[in-house]
Amino acid sequence: MPELIDEPVDVSVHGVFNWILLLSIFSIITVVGNYMGYRHPIYDSLIGMAILSGITLIGVWLERRLPLNISSIIYISLIGIFLAFPGVPTSETVLYYVSKIELLSIVTVFLAYVGIGIGKSWDEFKALGWKAIIVTVLVIASTYLGSAIVAHIVLVMTGVPV
Amino acid sequence: MAIIPLKDDDGQVEHIYREKTDKRILKKNPWRDYRLHVTVLILVVIAELIGTQKIPITGDVAITIMPLIYTIVLGLVFYLAKPITWIQRKQARIAEGAMMLFIGVLIAKLAVSSGQSIHLIFEMGPALILQELGHLATILVLPIALLLGFKEEAIGMTNSIGREPNVAVVVDKYGFNSPESRGVFAIFIIGTVIGTIFISFLVTMSLSFLPLHPYAFAMASGVGSASMNAAAIGPTLAAFPGLESQIEAFAGFSNLLSFCVGIYIVIFVAIPLTEKMYNWLEPKIGKDSIAKKGDE
Repeated sequence: MPELIDEPVDVSVHGVFNWILLLSIFSIITVVGNYMGYRHPIYDSLIGMAILSGITLIGVWLERRLPLNISSIIYISLIGIFLAFPGVPTSETVLYYVSKIELLSIVTVFLAYVGIGIGKSWDEFKALGWKAIIVTVLVIASTYLGSAIVAHIVLVMTGVPV
Repeated sequence: MAIIPLKDDDGQVEHIYREKTDKRILKKNPWRDYRLHVTVLILVVIAELIGTQKIPITGDVAITIMPLIYTIVLGLVFYLAKPITWIQRKQARIAEGAMMLFIGVLIAKLAVSSGQSIHLIFEMGPALILQELGHLATILVLPIALLLGFKEEAIGMTNSIGREPNVAVVVDKYGFNSPESRGVFAIFIIGTVIGTIFISFLVTMSLSFLPLHPYAFAMASGVGSASMNAAAIGPTLAAFPGLESQIEAFAGFSNLLSFCVGIYIVIFVAIPLTEKMYNWLEPKIGKDSIAKKGDE
């Protein structure tokens, strides 16, 4: 088992530098896709991606820096919500530039990495039987539909207009 | 095995993402592997050139295939295709590590939408919180798993969607070599390979055939896996033009909830319930074990 988790890695300048480079690469690819798909201005989109990358960087850094056992996803969510909160001074600027980046542009690039990454599990996947595949598909469907149906019932009961 | 979720000594299960990211991208200077990123750029350009395609099924129902499906499928094809020698296991590992960082950008975008629509989040609070309990519906699959011949594996398979945090919880509770852990590993691996593609088709079909509230679809997309979340939002956004920021807000917040409270629902509700149901149903409908041939 070569991937056993061993010693924690400290945040070094080296690490942060790598993150910034990776996020820059990701931003450029996203802006290209964003321009091709939606024709948003390249300059504004780049600023939008810089804001999102900055939030990510702070979240990832906090996760490793603070002695709390909290996922970076939670830090990133809280920072993002705060920066766009109505009335906060940053809110209008952040909203303007971030709105130039379509969520789907980010998702498209992200899933390209996911696609390449999942190739790694292909051999293990092939070794599993069709019965396990049926169960997986049903599990995913039930978790999605279960939550959609509960949400729908509550929304209708609380009188939320469509 | 693709992932070995382990607790470190003080029992911190959530560290899996972080350790994976750090090991892959801190030590290996992943940006030097420029061919990986150039390949991704090419995939994105191809995907955007093809664009969104609509395949009509009946008069007013159409299946939408979006660029995000092309990139994930092409990514997998590039990895598997023999002639493409520059995308190998090493690049897949880097892609996986980089992915853990790039999730952040996606989450940040969703969070900005949530912040912008924060009043809606408060107004829809009850629905947002209660839909988390809807994820318990996975337990309904338990009888089917038993009928297919699984034994204790079924407990690991059907207590949750079986992503990283869930794997960690099951391994922690039952031990690494238990049948329950074998079950959750199977779900994890299959979910990794087909989950994202499957959920995007599932969502497309649900949008066409289920008359649910647009916000309900948005909230449901936070299933507790960033890539599945991403794939689920795509078709939802396309189906309700004009509601983009609300849908992003709910999807983002529901994903955040899944991360914060979802794991406790699994520990305190889902696993005990699954065990109860197993003890009740297994003597009634259990088959001879297929674990030996079906799971290893």
